[in-house]
Amino acid sequence: MKFGKRIKEQIQESLPEWRDKFLCYKELKNLISSPDPAEFIFIGLLNSEIEKFNAFFVEQEEDFIIHHKEMQYRIQRLVEKYGDNDDETFREEIGEIRKDIVNFHGEMVLLVNYSNINYTGLAKILKKYDKRRGGALRSPFIQKVLHQPFFKTDLMSRLVREWETTIDAVFPASNAEAERGYERSAAVSSAAAGEGIFRNTVAALVTMREMRRGSSTYSAFSLPPVNLYDLDLVLQPIHIPSPILS
Amino acid sequence: MEARPVQRSGSRELSNLTRTSSIPSTPNPSSSAAAAEVAFMRSENNNNNNTQFMSKPLGGQNYHLLASSNGGAVGHICSSSSSGFSTNLHYSSMEKHYASSSSNAAAAAALRDDSSWCSDSLHGGFLDFPENHHQASQIEDGGGIGAAFDDIQKRNDWHEWADHLITDEDPLLSTSWNDLLLETSSQSDSKDQKTLQVQPQPQIVQQQQPSPSVSVELRPVSTTSSNSNNGNGKARMRWTPELHEAFVEAVNSLGGSERATPKGVLKKMKVEGLTIYHVKSHLQKYRTARYRPEPSETGSSEKKLTPLEHITSLDLKGGMGITEALRLQMEVQKQLHEQLEIQRNLQLRIEEQGKYLQMMFEKQNSGLSKGTASTSDSPSKSEQEDKKISDSKDHLTPEETGKCKEPESPQPKRHKTDN
Repeated sequence: MKFGKRIKEQIQESLPEWRDKFLCYKELKNLISSPDPAEFIFIGLLNSEIEKFNAFFVEQEEDFIIHHKEMQYRIQRLVEKYGDNDDETFREEIGEIRKDIVNFHGEMVLLVNYSNINYTGLAKILKKYDKRRGGALRSPFIQKVLHQPFFKTDLMSRLVREWETTIDAVFPASNAEAERGYERSAAVSSAAAGEGIFRNTVAALVTMREMRRGSSTYSAFSLPPVNLYDLDLVLQPIHIPSPILS
Repeated sequence: MEARPVQRSGSRELSNLTRTSSIPSTPNPSSSAAAAEVAFMRSENNNNNNTQFMSKPLGGQNYHLLASSNGGAVGHICSSSSSGFSTNLHYSSMEKHYASSSSNAAAAAALRDDSSWCSDSLHGGFLDFPENHHQASQIEDGGGIGAAFDDIQKRNDWHEWADHLITDEDPLLSTSWNDLLLETSSQSDSKDQKTLQVQPQPQIVQQQQPSPSVSVELRPVSTTSSNSNNGNGKARMRWTPELHEAFVEAVNSLGGSERATPKGVLKKMKVEGLTIYHVKSHLQKYRTARYRPEPSETGSSEKKLTPLEHITSLDLKGGMGITEALRLQMEVQKQLHEQLEIQRNLQLRIEEQGKYLQMMFEKQNSGLSKGTASTSDSPSKSEQEDKKISDSKDHLTPEETGKCKEPESPQPKRHKTDN
């Protein structure tokens, strides 16, 4: 019950084009509750969901790979162009790039999150199915899922970490210096893109914490609570509207 | 929802499939049915160790491998070939229409609609899906369960046919799942950048033959579907940064993204198994990306906000300066990523444990009750499984719950989350 709500929230907060790519948890749950949930059908649906994830994930990954390269070139060109000049245009452009890097990083993380949410959903729905039907479908099926393309997020994680390192180079040492050039030319519209990503990210974190808080069906297969101590500190000053933090 | 009741003997066999696949780690042999799987390992030279077991968490190992590949282009191509082990790639496609996302149907037409996935073996394992062209998945918007049911109904016809082939456990064909892992793993230092050598690789249970370094990993997945086969093997491809770099080089050498043609690029890249469809769709993406480099993929929709809304939304971050807001955003993103990795590792280990215990349990079972593992006492089995796992989980807990530590993911700098 709780996960269904959580995933729904996640989907709501997620980037628009992604919204129909998530697991249809509710529908699957309804199927399980129906009088005679045929295993065929259930598995068939799961398979098609998995296909959906795979297709979406791989395509996004491809886009990210292209974007990743382009960003690298862009930074390189910028550095070459300006050398050591620290003039205003340089700072503006650096600011632009910085924002783009952060957003790019965010999107990649969200893709990893996408993968995880769907995996978790699959695991849960399989568990429900076994419970309802007294079967042991979960374990072998999950083993298969582990090898699906959408579950293999290693490349994404690697790129994410690369950018985490890179961004430190792109973030200015002192705030004042950055604010001067950047604020003036702040492209508010592009900041909005970051907002969507930011909201989604926060929602994902909160969801994760909530989901792992412990449930009535805590079992050996359940994950332990999340340790987000630092995150709580980070999130405190943020006023998050209620839909995310329900 | 119209669930057509399709209870036939199929469902029993389905359970059998489940059984079969759970014991060894070889993928379900019935995948050789309508969806036979063959994975070819490409190997160039003696490589470093690429063993990727199904059960192994993928974390750190892959990074090394990816990083160490010296600009070798690596791609992962799933295509289909006939069931029969062949070294040349004979594509017969098994269309996966659920893969088609409606929005991109036009764009990546070649790939999207008629792609066969490595995950075909998954499908083969349970239901064989030689799909018809016209069945677009509607599950995506959650409202199409009815349509999906229709699809399933059609597919069930295949099931019996598939069943006959279930017993056909050709070890060569029962390739694996393990190989799917190889897409990122077999990038050890490659000497030869662009060419591929297809080397048939018989599968060993839960063991990967060490695959020498290859520049491009080609992994065709053979899926024969005797019908719904348009013959020209359009296969899904998984790109990697290295492969993309090779792509960019080829494009540049041909005069840039505007002047380069898919055919020319394909020829230049000299990557075996790469088809013109792959290149074409990738080139399209590439061109688009270069034309509007700035916005993130989803920037466009967000940009439609009016200026007033922009400002209000910035309040989310407490009206702090842009840079500070960016820092915060970055921070939150990093946290999420970290947690995701931890969670993923935990999930992998839990399943690993579960699988191991189940195997032990079944071994015990077969010892007691002579023959294959029983399929009948599923409920008690999962309870047993649960119990065994919780026992072992206590052992797992102190190190794994990530309270203060993380599993061995190699992170340069991480927050110390101490209680």
